Amino acid sequence: MNKKRILALVLTLVMALSLAACGGNNNSSSGGSSSDGNSGSGDSNSSGGSKVVHVWATGSDNVRQIFETLTTDFNNNAEYNQGYQAELNFLLSGTGAQTLPDMLAAAFKANQTGTDYDVIDMGGDDLSKIVALMGTDGFVKLDDSKIPNSSKVSAESADAAEFCQPYRGTTVVLAYNSQNVTDVPTTTEELYQWIQDHPGRFAYNTPGTGGAGDSFVRTTVYNYINDEAAMTSGDPAWMEQWGDGFAKLAELHPYMYQSGGKVVYPNKNQGALDLLAQGEIDMTPMWADMLLSQRAAGTVPEHIKMTTIEPSFTGSVQSMMIPNFGSNEDGAYAFINFMLSDEAQETLVKQMAAIPLVDVSNMDMTGYEDLQQLDVSNFRILSIGELGTDFNERWDNEIGVLG
Amino acid sequence: MSKNMKKMLTGYGLVLPSFLMVMLVVTWPILTAMKTSFTDPDTGGFTLDNYKYFFETPRELTNILFTLFVVVVTVALAIIIAYMLALYLRFVRSKISRWIGNLYLLPRFVPGMVAVYAMITVIRDSGLLNRISQLFGGDFKPGMMYQASGMITMNLWFNIPFAALMITAGLGAIPDSMIESARDVGASKLRVFRSMILPLSIKDVVIAATFVFMSNVGSFTTPYLMGGNYPKMLGIVLFDQFNKYLRYERAAAMSFIIFLICSVSAGVYIYTNLREKEWEKN
Repeated sequence: MNKKRILALVLTLVMALSLAACGGNNNSSSGGSSSDGNSGSGDSNSSGGSKVVHVWATGSDNVRQIFETLTTDFNNNAEYNQGYQAELNFLLSGTGAQTLPDMLAAAFKANQTGTDYDVIDMGGDDLSKIVALMGTDGFVKLDDSKIPNSSKVSAESADAAEFCQPYRGTTVVLAYNSQNVTDVPTTTEELYQWIQDHPGRFAYNTPGTGGAGDSFVRTTVYNYINDEAAMTSGDPAWMEQWGDGFAKLAELHPYMYQSGGKVVYPNKNQGALDLLAQGEIDMTPMWADMLLSQRAAGTVPEHIKMTTIEPSFTGSVQSMMIPNFGSNEDGAYAFINFMLSDEAQETLVKQMAAIPLVDVSNMDMTGYEDLQQLDVSNFRILSIGELGTDFNERWDNEIGVLG
Repeated sequence: MSKNMKKMLTGYGLVLPSFLMVMLVVTWPILTAMKTSFTDPDTGGFTLDNYKYFFETPRELTNILFTLFVVVVTVALAIIIAYMLALYLRFVRSKISRWIGNLYLLPRFVPGMVAVYAMITVIRDSGLLNRISQLFGGDFKPGMMYQASGMITMNLWFNIPFAALMITAGLGAIPDSMIESARDVGASKLRVFRSMILPLSIKDVVIAATFVFMSNVGSFTTPYLMGGNYPKMLGIVLFDQFNKYLRYERAAAMSFIIFLICSVSAGVYIYTNLREKEWEKN
């Protein structure tokens, strides 16, 4: 009886302690990060010229891997690092934690100075979000003379161009099976004709489940609007002009990929790419980097090729930015300059099939020759903000339900 | 402090952590979701529109009926097959049955995502079945991907071992001696099954069915990876409202509808359990 009681007591204690430990961990970690921020400011205030550059990036795990490689390379490259040492702070996207734009906006609005946010990686939706949250007041207007390599780059960011140094790009291309497709379309009209001539051999992923399908349906709809301004406007007024494009999508619907006697749209970019790789379809819109890196890995066969059409699908560039409440502007410039070096650009090509923004003649492009034909300066950018939600819902209501 | 008092306090003390846990992570979210589901997104006032939307839009109504169809077929097939499997494992003693008895739980240990992708590579139109048919000069396309048939097949893979496990446990409680004595006095095999085995195991069958039903109504991984874009399972409908259209009030209404559908099944479960107690009294 006594033994039992002791056992129960010990168990209760263990439970209580473990609970307390959990709480303690939470406290210490949150306390830790806030004190990190403070100590960062303390450091820079006291020692002035800190030699550490804090690099912030966010994204999928492949982005983490590439940034780990790049920061290590930077630290080992005496020519570029000028004595600075980069330290990576990476936030995995979609893990429910506070996002990088939120964190930056919070620091900015709290008027913090001398923080650890020395240089950040931004692009796409995150960039629009941060511009919406805090404008461009929180960023250093980039001085090109401090980034010698930037003279090699002509690409510009769609948002906040003066505050962004683009360093890689990606775009949606038309991926096709070169064994079955001989008359490769070069324009959207030719593509639509091809789709109708080859029923069941084209697919795009359900909008809202992946950017490649999004790009196909959105360019189809916006190609019918004769005003370039619509592409970058979140004004609900444009919704009235979506009709023609949706009618076109409905017209194409019966010619899409079928399974079990019924038209179906795969979910996610990967779903569409799998159909292409397995030979169930011959053509699909796809991200260039997804196609090339999977082809290099051998999961997509060699005879799957890519091409661009006119007017093209959409793409985007990824940029580096320097918050003006960071603590190491010179180090940040050194890091950005390194990102545009041939060495770093080649790493970006090899590890994530990113489209390089500098001249590739000095680089080894084996296996990624297709990237050379993609001209970043011609990228079409489509950012319709919140309208995207209505767009996807309309597709689900009008196109998705067609039998 | 009296001994009884101490005993009582110990009892409450042991129950308290799980009670608080349930309140915090089950009851509280259900209540807040219910409140959100009756909230108008624009005015913040009370409204029934979020529910009306799901029952008045033809597309959403189809989704609800489609989900019920997939789940009911899954439950029926899973229970019939699992019951036959359990009978076999219980009453046939051979090397093969021992092997099956050891192996049939294996799918429970395969991570869901892996299992779904494995199934996709088998049943897709260019998958294993198609390639085998090509060896014999045919071109068989199962046509199961993005269709109800594919999802039901996947659900069976997940649920048959689970249902069989529960039913086998119930059948295991029937003593051999009872069956032998019935056979001794001349009862046919069918008679033994109808009058003894079935009534004695029906409670486990019903309970297994309610569990299979509940776990499939709100399933997500299988319909997300294998389902088509229309009609959709409710798990995906919920995901779309929340993630794609950012309509949190409708998402709350949808989760409450799923909760209500599940609670029908939960009612059956509780009723079955209570009825047993009635028998025990007599």
